[in-house]
Amino acid sequence: MKSILKTIALILLTTGLRAQNIVGEVEYRYKIFYDKIYASMPHLTEQERDRILLSWGNPEGYSTRMKLQFWPEKSLYTFGAPYQVQSYSWQVEDYFIENNLEEQTYLKYMDQMGKTYIVRDSLNAPKWRVMNEIRDILGHMCMKAVAEDSIKGQKITAWFASDIPVPVGPEEQFGLPGLILAYDINDGMLIVEAEKITFGEPEEIITLPKKLKGREVSGTQYQDLVQDFIQTSIDSKRAWMWELRY
Amino acid sequence: MKFFLSFLLLAAVTFASQAQSKLTIRGIVKDTTNVSLDYTSVLLLSPKDSALVAYTLTNKAGEYQFKNVDRQPLLIKATYMGYLPFQKELVLPETDILEVDEIQLKPILQELYEVVVKAAKAPLMMRGDTLEYDASKFKVPPGATLEDLLRKLPGMQIDANGNIIAQGEQVQKVTVDGRRFFGGNTKMATQNLNAESISKLQLFDDKSEQSKLTGVEDGVKEKTLNVELKEEAKKGGFGKVSAAGGTDERWTANASFNKFDKVNQFSVIGYGNNVNQSGLSWDDLQEFRGSSAFQFGDTGDFGFSGGGGNYIVFSGGDNEESFEIPFNNLNSGYSNNQAVGINYNYLKDKKDFSSNYFYSRSDQILESVNSRTNFLQDNTSFTSTDQSRQNNMAGHHRVNLRFQNELDSANTITLTAKGRLSTLNTILFSHQELIRSTLEQSQMDRDNQSDKWSGAFQGTAIYRHKFKKNGRNFAASISDTYSKADQDGTQKAVVDHLNSTDPNTYFQSLDQVIQALNGSNLIKSSLLYVEPIKKIFFWETFYNFSQSTSETNRQVYDVETSDTRELNPELSRFFDNKITYNRIGSSIRYANKGSNLSVGIAASNYRLNGEFSVVEGSEILGRVDKIYLNFTPNVSYWKTMKGNKRINASYAMGVTPPSIADLQPFKDISNPLYIREGNPDLEPEVSHSFNTGYNMYDPATFINFRFSFNATFYQNQVVQNQTINPETLVTTYKSGNASGGQRFYPYVGFGFPIVKTKANAYLYANPSYTKSLSLINSIETETHTYSHNFGANFDLTPLEWLGLYAGSSFRLSKTDYEQNPSQNQDIVNWSAYSNANIKLPKDFYLDVKFNYNRYKNESFGFDQKVPILNASFYKLLGEAKKWEVRLSANDIFNKNQTISQYAGQNYVSTGRIETLARYFLLGLTYNMRGIEVKARR
Repeated sequence: MKSILKTIALILLTTGLRAQNIVGEVEYRYKIFYDKIYASMPHLTEQERDRILLSWGNPEGYSTRMKLQFWPEKSLYTFGAPYQVQSYSWQVEDYFIENNLEEQTYLKYMDQMGKTYIVRDSLNAPKWRVMNEIRDILGHMCMKAVAEDSIKGQKITAWFASDIPVPVGPEEQFGLPGLILAYDINDGMLIVEAEKITFGEPEEIITLPKKLKGREVSGTQYQDLVQDFIQTSIDSKRAWMWELRY
Repeated sequence: MKFFLSFLLLAAVTFASQAQSKLTIRGIVKDTTNVSLDYTSVLLLSPKDSALVAYTLTNKAGEYQFKNVDRQPLLIKATYMGYLPFQKELVLPETDILEVDEIQLKPILQELYEVVVKAAKAPLMMRGDTLEYDASKFKVPPGATLEDLLRKLPGMQIDANGNIIAQGEQVQKVTVDGRRFFGGNTKMATQNLNAESISKLQLFDDKSEQSKLTGVEDGVKEKTLNVELKEEAKKGGFGKVSAAGGTDERWTANASFNKFDKVNQFSVIGYGNNVNQSGLSWDDLQEFRGSSAFQFGDTGDFGFSGGGGNYIVFSGGDNEESFEIPFNNLNSGYSNNQAVGINYNYLKDKKDFSSNYFYSRSDQILESVNSRTNFLQDNTSFTSTDQSRQNNMAGHHRVNLRFQNELDSANTITLTAKGRLSTLNTILFSHQELIRSTLEQSQMDRDNQSDKWSGAFQGTAIYRHKFKKNGRNFAASISDTYSKADQDGTQKAVVDHLNSTDPNTYFQSLDQVIQALNGSNLIKSSLLYVEPIKKIFFWETFYNFSQSTSETNRQVYDVETSDTRELNPELSRFFDNKITYNRIGSSIRYANKGSNLSVGIAASNYRLNGEFSVVEGSEILGRVDKIYLNFTPNVSYWKTMKGNKRINASYAMGVTPPSIADLQPFKDISNPLYIREGNPDLEPEVSHSFNTGYNMYDPATFINFRFSFNATFYQNQVVQNQTINPETLVTTYKSGNASGGQRFYPYVGFGFPIVKTKANAYLYANPSYTKSLSLINSIETETHTYSHNFGANFDLTPLEWLGLYAGSSFRLSKTDYEQNPSQNQDIVNWSAYSNANIKLPKDFYLDVKFNYNRYKNESFGFDQKVPILNASFYKLLGEAKKWEVRLSANDIFNKNQTISQYAGQNYVSTGRIETLARYFLLGLTYNMRGIEVKARR
């Protein structure tokens, strides 16, 4: 898989075919449904699930604007401008993902599980299965692909645009033969969907903080931490999605 | 040797397959007009699970090539914008190179792509020859039929006779979820099925019925439309019924039922018992109210609050003045309680309506013994005791309505209406004794009765507008609260004069009839405007207005003989009061990267008008006309830091005007032992509050820490100055202003796991200090109260079937009297609890709770221990565990009573209420959704 990604990057770089489609910026709406996630926790009884959905169910979910910038050789991902300018500010967490397709590595700088982590490792795409379904997102015909995250217990359904042949996507999703314009987890517990695509060199390129302060770990170490955190949360009957990106 | 040979063989085979395993696959992609398609994605998938193996793009000539592909079953797939994805299974060659047959991509029917994929945003699914899409994505008006929906779909026509023509051919049959619908009558289906209940439509050529029966392919195809119905995703219902009976005729019963779907939520609930439960449980209340369980910001009060910070208070009691449904309330004494409620919520699009009606009644008997020791100037004291039996019968009807409509993304209106109607009957018998010394004693017996009904209504409207400029907001609110109460009562007191010859005795005989009619109206309105400056500064401006008018009409008649009543002009009063409040304020707020600083000032104006007379229309006895103008600054800061840490600090100045009752220049002698006198020279009370705090939580280690410190300093604190007549022992209270009162409230709490996920501890301490000032017999008296309060809680959940919870808290209240140190009081309240939840085999459960409270005041030799042991043993029945049989024992030691202790400025009181003690219950519960076992908290 790795070599394929590299080949694609190479093809795109060398041929420069329709180059306007391989550099750009995407704004995604990250919409999370805490009620549905909470209600799916294993220790809850059926009545507690119903109570949660009934009394604090939010059919609209909670939205955050995210931003992805992509080039044939790399992608950058972080928070976008907030939807609503508010007279209070509580968000201090950092969340940056940089995928380097040439060197096949990634760097994640993010506040998770109460700490700041700097995760560096080589790219390792999820095992995607490509399905026989198409849909349109912002004028791009997208194909459906599915994957599973066994650690987080998630069923991922992604839609990639094969006419934007950059194998990147929002959050931790990548490795499909086209830009991932939307994905959802567990049939609607999380929906991430592109709202705006601008092709061409982005006006303001996402920059990571100059000094990265945090705990430096490898990808596998981080996965172990996540696994341990989720297990501990389940054991103590707490929900983990407040502290860990879903 | 044999081993060596086989090893060689194995190595050779592996090598050979290795050499043969890598494949080169190449081919060309064209469209139906034979034009090569460049830039087409070509994918290799594994046929068994569609796993992505490799992918590439075609070049300008439409050619693609995969190199070094592992030899395995493969599926090739090509996709290009506007074309139907193509896929086929590859036949692997013997050689290393596979030349794939030319791939021809068919364009997606223009109309289909435009209407289905683009406009309706419905995913299009290819299943062999069948194209499937989600019909629910097409917008149809409510009540539309399948026929209306079909008319919207591309390639579909409905002819004049109602026949369906799909892609030029008539549809022969319609199936629903794969089954024939009314014998396949297409019209029957299209005209009767509701479009809103359809999730998917599939159009395909089915074999004829004939060939299906015979199994012989007759070549006849029937155009078939299959309709898949929606499974209502959000639909449910639950309910439970529970009843128990036991010793001493104790019983309890409750029932609830909920039904909800996406749009409607309906619930009913009812309970009855004589075991002192006079409210819903917190869980039941949430279920009952459904989506309206949590509604914030419905008060419509804008601008900073005087206390500094906004609080959301959940309080549960069945308070007469409250519009809220009672919950989590356990009565003292003995009570018989019933309630019934109905709730309906409607949520659709941006409209949100909720409504409920709740009726609760309670018949309570309180038998209590109270003792109060008052200190006099000369270091002497006198004690009064009161032994009473009170019967309260209360009934409350409550209605709550709320409607919120998001008109568009910029405008939202919220309307609420609340109503309450209450009746309250009280009968009180009491026997009071006054002990000054062994020689000087007197007694009084009282018999009071009162019947009261009261009603109140509150209506609120809030409008919020978001301007185009992100962050610029406007909000306006208006509300009106109207209340009326009518009370009739009799007061009788008979004094035993045996030990007293003084006519000005402490106790006085009475025989009176009281009629009181009170009414009030409060109008409030607020405006708020927020202007953002460069996205990180916000300029907030607010205006508050309120006007409250109240009328109190209390007439007291002395009963001379059984049929003669004489108006008592000393006790009868008519008050007409009006308080007008205007406040305008402004603040600048900085909000960036977790830091928030707000600095503001407000000008507030109170105007108090009041007059009183003996009865309405008689000579005005006194008037109040006061205007107070104050400027109140307000500063608040909070910062959220990485790692779930937060600090905050704030300063707020609060101004509270005196109550009109405290201002009225007249003596209230309605309680002859405690006379109240107004003071027209009162100034408003000013408070300066400082708050700081820090808290952190580490989600990985579960360690949490909290610290806060609140300090308040008072200026012109409105205090009750007291004068005690040493002869008659009558206390006269007169309101006055005193500066120098202080309060300090630190809090520190620390929680940590002892063994992760198995054992947790939380330790806390919140000592406090209060200094209060008042004049007692014209001498300025300072009272210092130090409260030493600390505690610890432990949670142990070592095994899945066992939960243990224990904790203890200790409070020592030291009250020091500056001018009278010999009367200093040390009051101790110590409590401990433990709770074990044990899951036994075969769905048996055991819950044991033990609470221990100790109340101590050494200076009076008061030491009361109240140990309460409750236990219940229950079993779940049935496969779905819908039934539960429970045996519970309450207060096994038979020790329950309600104790209170208080040290005031010149008195100490203790109280004791006889409360429902030991009883046993055997009960049965049925829960539609299976019984909830709360093994853990």
